[in-house]
Amino acid sequence: MTTALIWRWPTPNGLPPLPLVGGVLALLAGLWLTAPIVEVDFVRLIGSLGRMVTFAGQMFVTPDWEYVPQLLAKMLETIEMTVLGTAVAIVVSLPLGILAAGNATPHPVVYRVTRDLLSLMRALPELVWALVFVSAVGLGPLPGVMALAFVTVGFMGKFFAESIEVVDHKAVEGVRAHGAGWLQVRLFAMLPQALPDFVGTVMYILDHNLRAAAILGLVGAGGIGYDLVMSMRLFQYDRLLLIALSIYLVVTVLDRASDRLRSRIIHGRRT
Amino acid sequence: MSAISIQSVSKRFPNGFEALKGVDTEIRSGSFTVVLGPSGAGKSTLLRLMNGLETPTTGSVRIDGEAVDGLKVRHIRSRVAMVFQQFNLVDRLSVVTNVLTGRLAHRSWVGSVFYLFRQEDLGIAREALSRVGLTDKAWNRADKLSGGQQQRVGIARALAQRPKVILADEPVASLDPVASEEIMALLREICDRDGITVVVNLHQVELARRFADRIIGMNSGKIVFDGSPEQMTQPVLRTIYQREGIEDDNSLDMALAYA
Repeated sequence: MTTALIWRWPTPNGLPPLPLVGGVLALLAGLWLTAPIVEVDFVRLIGSLGRMVTFAGQMFVTPDWEYVPQLLAKMLETIEMTVLGTAVAIVVSLPLGILAAGNATPHPVVYRVTRDLLSLMRALPELVWALVFVSAVGLGPLPGVMALAFVTVGFMGKFFAESIEVVDHKAVEGVRAHGAGWLQVRLFAMLPQALPDFVGTVMYILDHNLRAAAILGLVGAGGIGYDLVMSMRLFQYDRLLLIALSIYLVVTVLDRASDRLRSRIIHGRRT
Repeated sequence: MSAISIQSVSKRFPNGFEALKGVDTEIRSGSFTVVLGPSGAGKSTLLRLMNGLETPTTGSVRIDGEAVDGLKVRHIRSRVAMVFQQFNLVDRLSVVTNVLTGRLAHRSWVGSVFYLFRQEDLGIAREALSRVGLTDKAWNRADKLSGGQQQRVGIARALAQRPKVILADEPVASLDPVASEEIMALLREICDRDGITVVVNLHQVELARRFADRIIGMNSGKIVFDGSPEQMTQPVLRTIYQREGIEDDNSLDMALAYA
């Protein structure tokens, strides 16, 4: 004899929770109604398929090997901008992160002010801050590094603060109970526990910053960006291909390195 | 002379729960006291008050005659060490570094910014680790150790502080019987040899009988028994562990039958 298979949700009445269903439906309806604002048009999308294929086909060209030395020089500059900007941002973000973490901040007012400062810093994208710094200090990689560091502090400070907020309170109490001072509790109980998260954040941000640095050249703030945009404009697909591949390569290497480093920090040295 | 003096202390938490309802007691310097009582009786709160991790709603707690209050709390904590049920180590740091955090109270923040310690502090940490028999694990990460070993690190951290008092909040509740025995023996030895006042919260009546000089029994925020292990008879145990509103408590009978 078979019993009927009856499905039910793990709720008291077996039905999905009404607020959840209502919420999802409202969201879908909202998106459907507002899509025309950004001119989402399926007819146009399908009509353009042909042109997309043509464009993609143009990428299959013999790379311009003559360009490689200049590419390497520009990529090196881009990587240096990324690493320098991120390094400066780490130094600034650590103390700001402590001030902006609910469980580490010295005072709720400091918490509020720091949070607002951080969101101000990341309110505008790198490109816009780069424009500001280019007009301040002139063309070249320097304003690029400044723009990267500035926006990165906004993000990293927030991420650091959030990883500090989730540290295990027991260890914090253990250190505090032995008479450690304000700063000592933060240094010895909170930061070590937040470290794997920090490393994850830094690696993600390096990844992001490399891609951001790759377009800063657009406004004259150094890096590969100028070449990237120019080769696009001048239809030099043989160069564009090399540039795209080299960015992809660096990002991938970074990604692998970050996986290794993170697992080593979480699990400790393999013995 | 009493190391710890607790005068008409009560503690009400913000959620309205009254953990302690007027507790008075003195704990003699160099003694080994065990606090027994059901969960929620206020044992942990009592211990945490002695370390300034909680502040009393009314009454006062004094360590060596000094009141445990806001400004002096760090000074008090430099002499009152704490051992926790869940060990409360910083998992990610090495065993030695965890033990060294016991020295932080005696040092300013200046060196701490660079995670620097004095040579003498390292000597104290090594000595503490050899006392608990973990010299060979010194550079392991704390979370790589077994529960019993982690608790010994917790005790080494307490010792590194060179405390007058060690408070242990259910130090063996997460350990197997053999490790529990080792930890209790270690605490007893520290009390006897170094003359450190030890106060331990326990759920194990039998361990309390064997290791304590004095047993304090608590129930619903009050002290209901205070005496030597010999004075703790079956009726006394019933008073300590009795539950409100339950007349014929079968579970109580069974639990105490072999205690």
